[in-house]
Amino acid sequence: MIFSPTSLSAAEDALRHEVRAWLAKTLPTDFRPGLGLGGRHDPEFSRALAAQGWVGMSIPEEYGGAGATTVERFVVVEELLAAGAPITAHWIAERQTAPALLRFGTEEQRRWFLPRIAAGECFFSLGMSEPDAGSDLASVKTTAVREDDGWRVSGTKVWTTNAHLNHFFVVLCRTSTADDRHAGLSQLIVDLSSPGVSVSPIPLIDGELHVNEVVLDDVYVPDDRVLGDIGQGWTQVTAELAHERSGPDRYCSVIGLLHSYLAEIGVPDDRSAAAFGRIAARLWSIRQLSLAVARSLDEGEAPATEAALVKDVGTIFEQQTVETIREIAALEIDPEGSMLQQLLAECVMNAPSWTLRGGTTEILRGIAAKALTRGGAR
Amino acid sequence: MSEIDELRDAVADVLRARSTAEALEAAERDGWAPDVWSALAEGGFATVAVPESAGGSGGSVAQACAVLEACGAASAPVPVAETGLLAGRLLASAGLSVPEGPVTTVASPGVSFSDGVLAGAVDRVPWGRSASLALVAGSSVVVVAPGSGVVTPGRNIAGEPRDHVDLTGVRPLESAPVGPDAVEDLRRRGALSRAALIAGAARAVLDLTVRYTGEREQFGRPVAKFPAVAAHLVQIAEQAEIAAMAARSAAEGAGEEGEPAALDVAAAFSVASDAAGAVATAAHQATGAMGMTREFGLGVLTRRLWSWRDEWGGGAAWAAELGRSLAAGGADAFWPTISRGLVASS
Ligand SMILES: Cc1cc2nc3c(=O)[nH]c(=O)nc-3n(C[C@H](O)[C@H](O)[C@H](O)COP(=O)(O)OP(=O)(O)OC[C@H]3O[C@@H](n4cnc5c(N)ncnc54)[C@H](O)[C@@H]3O)c2cc1C
Repeated sequence: MIFSPTSLSAAEDALRHEVRAWLAKTLPTDFRPGLGLGGRHDPEFSRALAAQGWVGMSIPEEYGGAGATTVERFVVVEELLAAGAPITAHWIAERQTAPALLRFGTEEQRRWFLPRIAAGECFFSLGMSEPDAGSDLASVKTTAVREDDGWRVSGTKVWTTNAHLNHFFVVLCRTSTADDRHAGLSQLIVDLSSPGVSVSPIPLIDGELHVNEVVLDDVYVPDDRVLGDIGQGWTQVTAELAHERSGPDRYCSVIGLLHSYLAEIGVPDDRSAAAFGRIAARLWSIRQLSLAVARSLDEGEAPATEAALVKDVGTIFEQQTVETIREIAALEIDPEGSMLQQLLAECVMNAPSWTLRGGTTEILRGIAAKALTRGGAR
Repeated sequence: MSEIDELRDAVADVLRARSTAEALEAAERDGWAPDVWSALAEGGFATVAVPESAGGSGGSVAQACAVLEACGAASAPVPVAETGLLAGRLLASAGLSVPEGPVTTVASPGVSFSDGVLAGAVDRVPWGRSASLALVAGSSVVVVAPGSGVVTPGRNIAGEPRDHVDLTGVRPLESAPVGPDAVEDLRRRGALSRAALIAGAARAVLDLTVRYTGEREQFGRPVAKFPAVAAHLVQIAEQAEIAAMAARSAAEGAGEEGEPAALDVAAAFSVASDAAGAVATAAHQATGAMGMTREFGLGVLTRRLWSWRDEWGGGAAWAAELGRSLAAGGADAFWPTISRGLVASS
């Protein structure tokens, strides 16, 4: 462990400024930033972004992408998240599904899905969690039964973000009752408009309706929608999670908040100056860590432990930032008040989920601890 | 392995046989560690980042910080930071050469220099009793011989000398006019040197704590197997990682010949100084009573972490400076400033 700092090349730095300039002219001036990947679901924005070549960048050119490196994608995604741009529509498809299709998909699936993802026209959700399977993902009960040249899937998925708006979701389910509970798992690509799929919202504490319960009742999934190999679902899912943990989404949720704090209040005294400076110092350091992980992925390494550490550090940073800004802003929060108050309200009510989604703090620390104690980390 | 990593390892190799538990005890008792010093000086490691024309070993700020990480990890009880990165570079910027032997320096706003004579005193001078002293006095940089003036011994929590030196009436060996940025540049390098030392020590604390908790058994298994103890290890690893990334990024930002940037140093020292406390707390919790003993060797590291985080103004003051400067830049400049990062020149 312990990465060295990485420099951006002049071309990578130019790309950052290009994205920044495009966002400045594309987003309205009174735009209310989303909290990082909690940005709005806006298919029109996703398509406009895709027209710039900035959706599915790391998809190879032959499948409609730009064949970009991890670092190039990092640069673009970081700018989008920092601006709080409405990226949610294409987010999972481009971050999670496209790389999974590239690694495990059939040629036919790649030819069909990847160009649509890169065009900002095909949106995915994640169908992993279930009522009885959270951190212990391998205990999923949703089951697919073999039928002719396909599968019949039944079960219940929960917390499925934007299932009511997206086109597909990748469902982790049981395809055999093997004794080894990891061996019987597979991933199926399910069309959310298929007969037998019913989506109902689960209201969250702030009253927002973006996560859902998705009930699958004998839903037909043809063989050509199996992702990867039957029985390999567990290996595939763990590979997906490890790679996507340490991206800029783990520290960018609060950039809009920091911006509006400076715009509305500034640092009137030493105490607020030190508190704000501390936040900035952490942010400055964590993004170097995250960038270093991206660079090492491009160099062919698989820094799973480091990625878990960065996610943990990043999400804890985000939560502490909300508390600190709230303290030094010293105001009562009205959710319809000034921009700072609106963002603070949203942050206070969403911050708990930052250390849950994508692997809880406790689970991440467990992964890191195992690596540390067996000397697995360099 | 990169050149920087090789340099760090080379210094670690030199220190392994010399910066031993016995040598550290002796240094604390005597206030000086001649063998550690001469090994580092002979290897040219004490004057990295000081141009060869000024009698140094040459090299970048990042290389000097790599040396300091290794010194921090080994608790090397000698003024390597002061001799090279701090005093050495200060002297070179005024066209002076680095004197033989250890050199020290400190911020010196209260010292004046006229008619060839100094007036005023400096406090908390690292190894002030044994090293030549280089200072900014008025618009000059001056060098005084070791032991000049009235030296009142003091020390930090780690038992490293931090002396009070009254220079009134002392005639410097040398002096030269110095540019307007010298004081500010020195202060930045001072803070950066502490960030690098902390990063090195934090890494050593991690190694020591992982090893001990993997061997110490209670309830029939190594204590590291208890999730609550493992969480301390992860906490130390995270803090060591972020401190090192911060210190290295700020040092790299100086390029081949330049000085580190204000924002980078403030961020790096703030992060490292917070990490210092967190690492020490978690390591002592995980190692129980054994970690509290003089013999075990955690204390030489944690006492340094607790000392270094407060030097050169301390992390909180640098955080406040960073906060004020970001606020002065305005809300729209915030993200562009933070994300500027390192950009390759070619
Ligand atoms: C806003 C939001 C959006 C989400 N979107 C999606 C989505 O689109 N698709 C999807 O599939 N999922 C989604 N999730 C679910 C998310 O992945 C789960 O919340 C997460 O995996 C944790 O599971 P759980 O909530 O059931 O908590 P549990 O697993 O029930 O955990 C409860 C507590 O026990 C702790 N714990 C559990 N096991 C251990 C252990 N072995 N060691 C130590 N502590 C342990 C946990 O850390 C936690 O503190 C979303 C969650 C949120 C909050």
